[in-house]
Amino acid sequence: MGISVTRLVKIYGSTTIVHGISFSVADGEFVTLLGPSGCGKTTTLRCIAGLERTNGGVIEIDGKVVSDAEHDIFVASHERNLGMVFQSYAIWPHMSVAANVAFPLEVRGIRDTREAVAWALDVVGLAALAQRQPSELSGGQQQRVALARAIVGRPKVLLFDEPLSNLDARLRDRTRAEISRIQKELSIPAVYVTHDQAEALSMSDRVIVMDLGRIIEEGKPRDLYRRPASRFTADFIGAANFLSLVYREQAWFAPDGSAVRLANPEPGVAGETRVAVLRSEIMEIRARDKAIGQDNHNALHGTVKGLQYMGPHIEYSIDISGVPLNALSNEEFEVGAAVLVTFRPQDIHLLPRSETPQSPSP
Amino acid sequence: MSNHSATTVSTAAATDQAASSPVNQPGRVSASEPLFGGGGLLGTIYILTFVLVALLVVIPLVALVYGSLRSAAPGMPGEWTLANWAALASPGIVGTFATTIGIGIASSLISAMIGTALAIIVHRTDFRGGSTVTALVSLSFFLPSFILAMAWIIIGSPGGLINGVLEDVLGLEGWKVDAYTVTGIIFVMALHQIPFVFLIMCGPIIGMDASYEEAARASGASPYAVLRRITLPLLSYSLTSSLVLSFILSIEQFAIPALMGIPGHVPVLATQLYLLVRFPPPDYGLAASIGLTLSALTGVALWLQRRIARNNRLTVTTGKAGRLVSIPLGRWRWAANALCWGYLALALIFPIVILAYVSVIKYFNANPIEAAYTLRNYVFLYESGATLHSFWNTLIVSGLGALTGVVLASFISYFTLRQRPPAYHALDFTANLPFGVPGVVLGLGLLWAYAYIPLPIYGTLVILVIAFITRFLSYATETIGGRLVQIDKSLEEAAWTAGATRIQGIRRVLVPLALPSLRGAYFLLFMAFFREIASAVLLYTASSNVLSTSIWSFFEQANWGLASSLSLTSMVAVLAFMYLLMRLARVRPMRRYMTDPNADNAVKQ
Ligand SMILES: Nc1ncnc2c1ncn2[C@@H]1O[C@H](COP(=O)(O)OP(=O)(O)OP(=O)(O)O)[C@@H](O)[C@H]1O
Ligand SMILES: [Mg+2]
Repeated sequence: MGISVTRLVKIYGSTTIVHGISFSVADGEFVTLLGPSGCGKTTTLRCIAGLERTNGGVIEIDGKVVSDAEHDIFVASHERNLGMVFQSYAIWPHMSVAANVAFPLEVRGIRDTREAVAWALDVVGLAALAQRQPSELSGGQQQRVALARAIVGRPKVLLFDEPLSNLDARLRDRTRAEISRIQKELSIPAVYVTHDQAEALSMSDRVIVMDLGRIIEEGKPRDLYRRPASRFTADFIGAANFLSLVYREQAWFAPDGSAVRLANPEPGVAGETRVAVLRSEIMEIRARDKAIGQDNHNALHGTVKGLQYMGPHIEYSIDISGVPLNALSNEEFEVGAAVLVTFRPQDIHLLPRSETPQSPSP
Repeated sequence: MSNHSATTVSTAAATDQAASSPVNQPGRVSASEPLFGGGGLLGTIYILTFVLVALLVVIPLVALVYGSLRSAAPGMPGEWTLANWAALASPGIVGTFATTIGIGIASSLISAMIGTALAIIVHRTDFRGGSTVTALVSLSFFLPSFILAMAWIIIGSPGGLINGVLEDVLGLEGWKVDAYTVTGIIFVMALHQIPFVFLIMCGPIIGMDASYEEAARASGASPYAVLRRITLPLLSYSLTSSLVLSFILSIEQFAIPALMGIPGHVPVLATQLYLLVRFPPPDYGLAASIGLTLSALTGVALWLQRRIARNNRLTVTTGKAGRLVSIPLGRWRWAANALCWGYLALALIFPIVILAYVSVIKYFNANPIEAAYTLRNYVFLYESGATLHSFWNTLIVSGLGALTGVVLASFISYFTLRQRPPAYHALDFTANLPFGVPGVVLGLGLLWAYAYIPLPIYGTLVILVIAFITRFLSYATETIGGRLVQIDKSLEEAAWTAGATRIQGIRRVLVPLALPSLRGAYFLLFMAFFREIASAVLLYTASSNVLSTSIWSFFEQANWGLASSLSLTSMVAVLAFMYLLMRLARVRPMRRYMTDPNADNAVKQ
């Protein structure tokens, strides 16, 4: 059953923030809304939660219409059976941890909350802190109280609005795994909002990439990373290089004139130009003099223009016949060094024809 | 006392917040947010609130406008006329206008200067005894202006203490002091308003971002140079804003110019209005046009103040308290001590000692050694049914009236700051309108109105409660609203998504978190109702006497002894009552939350 959003429109004043987006989330599925700041992720989530009225489209939860502006249907938040984790956690400061977690049960008229509260606190690993006041908790612990509070009522959907953004990097990694585990255990649909691509890729079954209130693309994390259908996605997820390839003599050629071999060859029209995505982190850099006599497929000739020392690797900017290319490597090269950049056929991906900017003269 | 000083600050800074609160609202505000998700109940409450506030505010104002255009007294047959407005141009009234503004400017300048100096000394220097000074200044904030004026009349009037000492004790014939003068009025008004400025300025002074001063110190500025070049300029907006507020308070001040200016023939607009109504031949129409003019004056000043407060982009308060470095007083310590303790002596200690002295002597005598002592004033108060009656009346008016006011103000704040249903701006505006209407003017408006409205409430406690709630409603909405905007919207939303209805969300989350401010607002209204005289003076009768009006009539009858003893008794009684009430209201689980500063921060996520 899950969640289904159909042609959702949200307007604030005279600006349309969400332009008729549609997607659905199946039971047990973890879907992430990913996009740059201000693209309407939070707004979409709040529409699902019933914290905002919609201006168009239909939202269904578990097969039941909860928002339908045209037919004036609006089910209030408290009747939607939700579990929601807010970016600020929104732990009520005047209640103990246990009281915070018991709240969703109490307001639904459940008297004996002890067992459920103990279960929820156990799931998030906070059983020992039940009697603490929120002010006596660390950020990460507060975050887990919020999670316990969201799941204690066995909701029909779980909603997250950047729940990890206030945590430090290590805690973020740990909590990320925990959230995925709990969601899988409960096997309910979850919608997760973030602008952090690492979070989106690591937790989700499916990622929905948004920009300016529209869905750009959706898919499995792996597919979006390796085979994005749009320049926007490629750019937003991971560090992408865009290379213009030219098709002639039944093959694609890089700007430096070297031939490019693709994993699943896609024939073009002679003279056609297409944009290909080449990930910085999967290329190999070698000094050109040491690489003589190699197969010259998927090997770009370039010159090191600059470098940045990042710790685990060095980020090079390399000039390939006037086209800048970013590549990571842990080999050391000097600026000005002549290098050969190689990659495997499966690591270069041609974007659809529509993603190539049409230049007036070929 | 110090427990409540935070509350008084927030209210004293009332209008500062008012200007900024709609903008600063954290969380999201959505124009099309689900309305009245709690069923019809919230909707009904909203409509009732709106109607009630509109009636409270609009009736007296409309009545005033009507009155200013009529040729006869309220309820009498008369005709439409512009004569009342034309009469404003008479030299007498123009002169009164000038006196009012002159006194306002002088007293607000003095109080702004001294109030700010006190706040800086207490909070920014290594002054010792700062918390005692703060507590005592807060206490003097609650000393009613008419009691302060009474004390200073006893001290400084032609037949008063100072002249008695000069003549009888020291035998100096040529030296005379007269409190019934412009100077006397300015002096007492300044004393009365200094605590107000002090409490307003404490907030920005304490909350100032330390990094500005640190940057200046790091650039080599001495502590004194930091104060002069950085701190004071950063405070300039707050200072101007409190100056204007203090100006408003002095031009609408009634008790001080009435007690000191009427005998000394120094009229200001507020007392002129009172005289026109109270003493034959009454001229209600002219009084109404004077009242409206005075309201217009305060209205303009208030508008100015809000503009200043809104444009205040200088003081960036971050709440990073405690890192500000104290300025060493060094060899100026004596001056700081003189200012703080001198002020407290003049505004609080001396007046109370004098009242106590006058309350236990038979006949006024400047020499305490020769005076004949007696307890007859207290015995009289104890035995007279009328006094007991006014105690009960005060308990009803202040106790229940303040409760009603807090409930109404909570609804208003909730709707204007949280729910934002249609027309909430109008509600906000209406509820704040009376802030610019001086007390006597409001009293006059109600006098006019209830001569026509067929409700038998004139001369009852009900009309006093109506007057007081109308007049002080904005104090309560500011106190409560100041807290509400700090409570992040997501705390309430989290309750909704957890399955709570709107009403449950309010009851379980919002009310407990706003409780300190509800309590503070109640305390504030209670004290304001207790010490209010301006709007009551035209409305009370013998049967609806409250403590303030009883003291007032004793003093009008020149019975200094009874006035003093009743002042002291009632102040002690009211403070004791408030203390008890606050003790009772402090429920156990809230205490830890209130005393834990971290818990408080958690609210502002
Ligand atoms: N109450 C409101 N009134 C008017 N515009 C709003 C309101 N709330 C949000 N917006 C606008 O809607 C757009 C989308 O906001 P939203 O909060 O959904 O973005 P987001 O994708 O969650 O961004 P972020 O990653 O920064 O949280 C923004 O341009 C924002 O300015
Ligand atoms: Mg967001």
